[in-house]
Formats: sequence, structure tokens, C-alpha cells
Amino acid sequence: MALTRNVSADGKVVTIKINGRFDFSVHQEFREAYDANCGKASDFVLDLANTEYIDSAACGMLLVFRDAVGGNNANISIANANHEIVRTLTMLQFHKMFKIA
Amino acid sequence: MNAPPAIKPMAKPADAAPAEMLTATGQPLKILVVDDEAVFRALLQNLLEKMGLQVVAAGSGAEAVASFMHEQPDMVLMDVMMPGMDGYQATEYIRELSGDSFIPIIFVTAMSDENELALCVMRGGNDFLTKPINPAVLRAKIEAFSQLRRLYKAVKSQRDELAQHNRWLKREYEIAEGVFAKVMHSGGLTSPNIKYMLSPQAIFNGDLLLAAYRPSGELHLMLGDFTGHGLSAAIGTIPVADIFNGMTAKGFPIPEIVAEINQKLQRILPRGLFFAAALLELDAKNHKLSAWVGGVPDILIYGAEQKALAGRFTSTSFPLGVMATDQLDCHVESIEVHPGDRIFLYTDGVPEARNSENAMFSQERLEQCFNDGYEPSVLYERILWELDQFRGAHEQSDDVTLIEVTFDPLASNPQANSNALAPRPPSEWSASFEFGADTLKGYDPLPMMMQVLLETQRLHQHKQRIYMVLAELFLNALEHGLLKLDSSLKERAGGFGEYYQVKEQRLAQIKDGRIKVRLRHAANGSGGRLAIQVEDTGPGFDFQQRLKQVEENQGTHGRGIMMIRSVCESLVYRGAGNIAEAVYPWNLGDGSD
Repeated sequence: MALTRNVSADGKVVTIKINGRFDFSVHQEFREAYDANCGKASDFVLDLANTEYIDSAACGMLLVFRDAVGGNNANISIANANHEIVRTLTMLQFHKMFKIA
Repeated sequence: MNAPPAIKPMAKPADAAPAEMLTATGQPLKILVVDDEAVFRALLQNLLEKMGLQVVAAGSGAEAVASFMHEQPDMVLMDVMMPGMDGYQATEYIRELSGDSFIPIIFVTAMSDENELALCVMRGGNDFLTKPINPAVLRAKIEAFSQLRRLYKAVKSQRDELAQHNRWLKREYEIAEGVFAKVMHSGGLTSPNIKYMLSPQAIFNGDLLLAAYRPSGELHLMLGDFTGHGLSAAIGTIPVADIFNGMTAKGFPIPEIVAEINQKLQRILPRGLFFAAALLELDAKNHKLSAWVGGVPDILIYGAEQKALAGRFTSTSFPLGVMATDQLDCHVESIEVHPGDRIFLYTDGVPEARNSENAMFSQERLEQCFNDGYEPSVLYERILWELDQFRGAHEQSDDVTLIEVTFDPLASNPQANSNALAPRPPSEWSASFEFGADTLKGYDPLPMMMQVLLETQRLHQHKQRIYMVLAELFLNALEHGLLKLDSSLKERAGGFGEYYQVKEQRLAQIKDGRIKVRLRHAANGSGGRLAIQVEDTGPGFDFQQRLKQVEENQGTHGRGIMMIRSVCESLVYRGAGNIAEAVYPWNLGDGSD
């Protein structure tokens, strides 16, 4: 399973965990993971502890994700990303749009 | 009213073939029956016709081949032993004639030896039937082959369709590649001071590398990377290249080009698609390197003297196409470069190259190459060598793009002489511009003035020189006249950055002051004279003293004056030194620029 999703008991926090490579191949699953809870959830956590790599297409998917869950009001944290992924996200200035924890 | 003629229902044959024994067009299958014994032929014909099939009969191998050509049957029942051409030989001919269409051939034989029967299949038959014929077995075999035939036809038509589709796709890619190659081909990349390795897949990786020269001679270079792969990634390169090449040729500076590209991409790209890029400007005259970096790896500078990493530009901006232009940081950072310094740009394919253990080459390994004290001239090859060593036998990944620009104060636009636009006959005109302090703060009026000038008097072959004169006079008026900057600052160690820093500060604070530019053109025989007058509201300067210094070759900062004089017939100062006028002469036919 490339992707797992956890919803907190009160339905407010959705944690999406991506395993392996985060690229266009998980596009459909990723979309479904946040679409399903768009209405109720207020906070999203993207757990990248088991993600080895993120490509530019996936970075584009992050922007679409952000728009879908509130744009500038979206509350998304990216957690446990490895050094290379943080470097890529910072290079793209995504730390100004997402909380990178 | 006449009733339409009634459609006669087709007479249903006495023995209609079941659906599985029909051809694709709904006709009953046509079977060629080959046997030298007339009685047996008639028997088979009778059996088949009762099944509702069409039958063609042949009494010998040769007749069978002829009949196959004329009748084009769907299936053949072939006797083995016949005088003259036997069943095997006839089968061989028929196989040759039928090419890649599938014609089942069933041998009909009195033989019962298993080896003999196996031979039937080896000699090109698809199956065999033994005499005496069992009608039920005959029917079952014909049905089975009819189905197989249909399956074969379906696969074949899908295969043909796929092949056709592939041919189309290939052709479209070739066309697209041709278009993209033209887009990518920008003359600037042929400069001797630029070395680059571009992935052969670059275009369909969405990578874009362009170089072009401003009319004033500065090199602009852009390396960028669209998200994703394939045509969708490549498609955006066309407008980007157009803007980059067009605006650079008109003299626009990097921040305005960045803003324009962002604006365009914001409009045309779907969300999730963006363009990470670096744009740099190399100003050989002022030893100044400026860069804007949005979402690509650091630009690295290798110092010729230090033989070490001497500087870098790090991404400070969003990629293009993500944010609205007013939220985008378009500013460039500038550093001073020295002759022989090398500037390296690369796509993430370099740090992210992998070896067989799936480890990444990494930014650290790349930068290590900069700290091993290599001769500047070998560093480029060294990086590629290290990369190859690292990857080892692991697939030679083809997504590495690496560019090296050597700072050579004497390198110039290789295409400067190939401007095809002919000058228009000389005419008389003049134009004035006046810029207030607020305008001067955030706007570079030089490209606009050049455009007006070049559209009024087609002097494209002179544009580099005219731009140089106009820019020198204008910048003198701005930097020294209005902002009162001291150019000796630039000559001091570290003063270069300070100079531009002070300029930014003073520019931000300036409240009043104006610069007036007057362009006056007069015809003169087969050519003309363009007078460029620039007046500022500053206090002026002791121009007598300055001109004397220049004449006596004293001081180090009369460079601008000398450059203007080298192409103009006169340069005079008036008023308190706050009015400067240079006259640029030209002639039809001098195309040297």
C-alpha cells in the first residue's frame, strides 16, 4: 500500500502517510485520501516518515491539495520528511505555504 | 401518396450457417475442398453445403492453388495424396499466397499412422481429418477454426491499429521535437564561453535551456524545469522561450522577464503544473553577475583565483506559475565576478542521480568537486567524471543537464553581426522623454526608449552601440547626477557590492529629481546623425576637469566617457555639467556592429 489514511476520532485531523516514492503514480490515491474528508476535517498532516523521494509532479499535487482544502486558509503540516525532501520543498519555497515539521 | 416500395426480405437459404460460421461481413464461410477423387469431393461438398457454407472444389494441387487465388476462400480442406502437385506442395504455395492472413488448412487423409499425421502439421497444415469423414467431427473442427480465425482477425486489426497509432504518435513527436528544437535553439548557447550537457530527453522532461544577449551586450541565460514529463511538461516551454528571447532582445532586465513569464504561466498552466527556473545576467562590462532563482538547485560559482567555491545563489522565490505576480519576489541578487570564474547551473538530475544501491549522488558530493582545488578549466569534466564513477554500471541515466559559463570580459554575442534588418532611409524626427523620481525607482526606461528609437529609425545594426551610449549617459545622470554616487567606490575591494547597495538605498529614498532624454535624428546624405541628450536636475560636476583627466588618461573611472567617444563623433557637456549630449553618426551600408 503506497498510501494510508487515518482520521482522528473527532474527524478533525486527517493524517495521510505515503510510503516509498511520492510521485505521479500515487496521484489518484492521494486525491481520494483528502477528497473523502474535505468537508469535516480542519487539519491535515502529511506524514512522510516512510517517503524516500518526492518528485516535481508530486510537488504540483501538493499545490492542488492545498487549494482543495482551503487554499490560503488550509492547515497542512508536512511531518517527518527526510533531509532531501526538506531540501526540495525549501528550494521551492513551499515552507511558506505548508508547515514543515 | 405513393407508399415506399416494400423491402423484400432476403430469401433465407434452406440451410443457413450458424453465426459462428459466418465471416465478419455476415457471409457464410467459403471453404475450398481439394481432392482428386470426384466422389469424395462431392460428398464433402454436400456435407458442407448442408451446414450452410459456401463451397469451392478443386481436383488437383495445381487447381487448388489457382482456385485459392481467384476465390479467396476462408478455409481449405486439403487431400494429401494427389497425382502431380500433392497436398503438401499446394499448402506451401497457398501459405505463401496468403501472406499474414490466417487461412486454416485441414488435411484430409486416409493415413492412420501417427507419424504421418504429425507430418501434416509440420508441412503447414493446421489440423487433420481422417477418412472416412465423421460429419460431427468435421463440423466441430470447422467451428473451432472459424472462431480461431475470428480471434486472429481481431488481434490482427488491433495490432494494425496500434501500429498505425504508433506511427502517428511517432510522427507527432517528430513534429513536436522539430518545433521544440527551434524554440530551444537560441543563438546565445553557441558562445565559446558556454559549455553544456543537455539531456537528450530534455524537451520531454520539460527542461529548458536558453541564452540570449541584450542589445547592451549582457548575456542572459535561463535554465528551467517544468513539473512532470512528456508533452504536457514540454508544452509550456514555447511561451517561456518566446518571452525570454523576445524581452532579452529588446533589452528588458531579468526581474521584468521573470514577472512576465510568471504572469503568462499563471494564466495558462493548470494548478499543479509549474516552472522552476534560474535566470542570470552576466554583465561583462561591469564584472557583475545577477541571478534570480526560483525552485531550482543552487547556482555555484568557482573562483578562478581561489580554485574553490567562491559564491552561490540559492533559491529565494517560488517557482513560476505558482503565485500571482504581485506576490512573487522578482528581485535579482548580484555579485562581482572575476575573469576566469566559472558559473555552474544544473537540474536536479545531477544531485539526484542514483547508483546501483539506489543512493543519490547528492548536493554534498557535487559541492565536494568544488573543494578539491581543481584547475578551473577541468572542473566541468571532473563533475561529469565523478558522476559517471558514482553511477558506475548503473544505467546511464539521461536526465543530466549541466551548464558552465566562463566569465570572459571579452566574450561577446556571436550573433551580433548577423542582423538581417536593413536600415530605413534616413529621416528627420525627435522625441523627448521625462522621468520623475517615482518612475525611476522601479522602472528601467532604457528598453522602452530603445524600442521607440528602433521603430522610428531602423538602426538594428547599430543598436548595441546606441544602447551603450544611451545607457552610459542615462546611468551617469541617474547614479552620479541624481543619486550622487561616487564611482571610486566600485574600485575598492568589496566596494562593488556596496556601490549597488548604496544605489538601491538612495533610489528608494529619492523624492524629487528628474531625468530628461531627448533623441534627435537628422538625415545626412546616405546616413544620419542621432543626437542623444540627457539632462538631470542634479548639481552637475566639473566636466572640464573630468574631460582633461580622460584626455591625459588619468584616473580609472573615465571608462564610460571613453566608450562613448569611441563610437560618437562628439560628446559635450553643457550647463553645470548636468546636460550631456552625444552625437552618433551612421551610414547606409555600414553594418559593422
